[in-house]
Amino acid sequence: MDIIESKTWIEWVITIAKFGFCFVPVLYILLLIPMERRGAGFMQDRQGPNRSYIKIPYFGKIRLFGYVQNMCDGTKLFFKEQFAPAGVNRVLYRVAPAIPFAIVFLSPCVIPWFGPMVFEWGGQTVRIAGSIVDSDVGVLLLFGFSSLSAFGAMLAGWASKSKYSFLGALRTSSMTISYEVCLGLSMMGLLVLVGSFNLTDIVNWQEHHVWGIVAQPVAFFCFLIAAIAETGRAPFDVAEGEPELVAGYHTEYGAMQFGLFYMGEYSHICINSFLVATLFLGGYAVPFVTTETMQAHMGGTLAILCGVLAFLGLAFLHMIYRYSRKLKATNLTNRFEILREYQLYKIVAWIAVVVFIALGVSSWFFYDPSKFVVNGFAVGSLATAVGTALIHLLVLVVKSVFFCWVWIWVRWTLPRFRYDHVMHLGWKIILNIALINLVVTAVIAKLVGGN
Amino acid sequence: MLALIYFIILAVVALGAAVCVFLSRHPLYGALSLVTSMVALAGIYGLIGSPFLGVVQIMVYAGAIMMLVTFVIMVLNGARDSKTPMFDKVSLFIIPAVLVLAGLVGFALTRAPLAFDATTLRGSVALTSRTLFDVAQTGPGYFVLFEVLGLLLLSAMVAAVLLAKKRLGSVDTENTEESH
Repeated sequence: MDIIESKTWIEWVITIAKFGFCFVPVLYILLLIPMERRGAGFMQDRQGPNRSYIKIPYFGKIRLFGYVQNMCDGTKLFFKEQFAPAGVNRVLYRVAPAIPFAIVFLSPCVIPWFGPMVFEWGGQTVRIAGSIVDSDVGVLLLFGFSSLSAFGAMLAGWASKSKYSFLGALRTSSMTISYEVCLGLSMMGLLVLVGSFNLTDIVNWQEHHVWGIVAQPVAFFCFLIAAIAETGRAPFDVAEGEPELVAGYHTEYGAMQFGLFYMGEYSHICINSFLVATLFLGGYAVPFVTTETMQAHMGGTLAILCGVLAFLGLAFLHMIYRYSRKLKATNLTNRFEILREYQLYKIVAWIAVVVFIALGVSSWFFYDPSKFVVNGFAVGSLATAVGTALIHLLVLVVKSVFFCWVWIWVRWTLPRFRYDHVMHLGWKIILNIALINLVVTAVIAKLVGGN
Repeated sequence: MLALIYFIILAVVALGAAVCVFLSRHPLYGALSLVTSMVALAGIYGLIGSPFLGVVQIMVYAGAIMMLVTFVIMVLNGARDSKTPMFDKVSLFIIPAVLVLAGLVGFALTRAPLAFDATTLRGSVALTSRTLFDVAQTGPGYFVLFEVLGLLLLSAMVAAVLLAKKRLGSVDTENTEESH
């Protein structure tokens, strides 16, 4: 059992805890579905689904800004009857939805969630990588997984034995292949600059030089377009194509089997937005501050973090107060119920703001890593490392949520492309721009950097 | 010990899937078994210390090429499930050829002085690129070979495009399309 003894227990705890990041895409689904539906409503100047509520005794109804709708949808999908049309290929029909959903749990393993944690433990320096698998091949592994997940759509289309599904599957496979080429090539310019496939190295390079979006602006847009196309959403939804193919490859699916495809698509958005944020927006790196500076002034950093959170709380309160004022002026029949719910939000948000301000002030004045001693064991550097990791994680999540919004934004803004337009864009425009970008970057890197 | 257990699992999956390629009646099942076999092989590559090769195997072969193969299979007989017989007259030639080839490879592998030391050969991207492109270290051999292979693939692609174009324009394909 020398494997177990090769690390101290704290290393094992953190290493195993990192596997929890596998569930991040699934959690993002819960965030993305209300974001998509309310976001679509916002863009089309309507409310979106916000009527479902939970009734709490002695208080009233809680709607959570339409978030409860999520739970209703999930419950409906779970309890619907699972059926298979006559004539389908039984085995493949059942297996197909599981493939993209299984890939969802594998994909997060190479994304660096925080910078490498370095701390002193029992007299020796411990270093823990920020990704679950700290591999040299990093990004390539992610691309490999995402190319495998298209097999789910293909098998679903074939096993359904329906012409709509079949056409959708054919389109999926051709589009996946063409846009994967664009995705890989547009990223290569950045990899030439960094000189590594490892995502931690890429983020580290961006932290100490410039962000990828500044170094490679052309590549960023190519990558973003290819990444949006790869998730198969509008304007690139030729595989599902509601106007022409009913629902594409999942026409014959219902209940939770359809739900698995749906969740697979949203998790794909999550993974791709994490990838864009990591490659081109500095990943976990805090803007304008390097990790070393942050760790040297941990108390101040924590205070600023608490300040930002308190500011967000105040912004939320402003929104609630404005909504309440507007609502009081109307004569909606349910306005007192809603105002009562808003009262609850006001209380919670005010408590949160006060707590954050108190935490920020106390960490500004009293944070001192040398005081952290548990049972005569100095854990100050561990506390600093964990604090840095949490801040990194928060920054990465904020960046990726922004890109998730870009996905929704694009979907509800642009009209959908025809199939030949999509192929034309992929093979004749983006691929060539990416190739030229790669050549120019390589020449400049050779002339300037000399590596 | 742990590595051995992983190796046995992956090897059984790879070999089993490879046998399934032979035994499956429908070409799509054959293609899927081939994908499984390739993914298991990629795992073995990772296990012996070359994750780069393994990932390229997944990306290029399992992801792209097998996707194209399934695409072709689906286009050719997607609507009707044609069941090809497992053995026909051609098998008379193919089975002995496969057996002889397997014997030859086995003989060569047992006799060849294969000195594989996983500890010295560990390393992924840097080692692979140095082996391929570092002219000072390994001479121009691999570098030139690599470029020539690229040219070969390009010429194959051009030839395929030419062939396909010719057939699209000809008269008899248009007739067969109508008869479907």
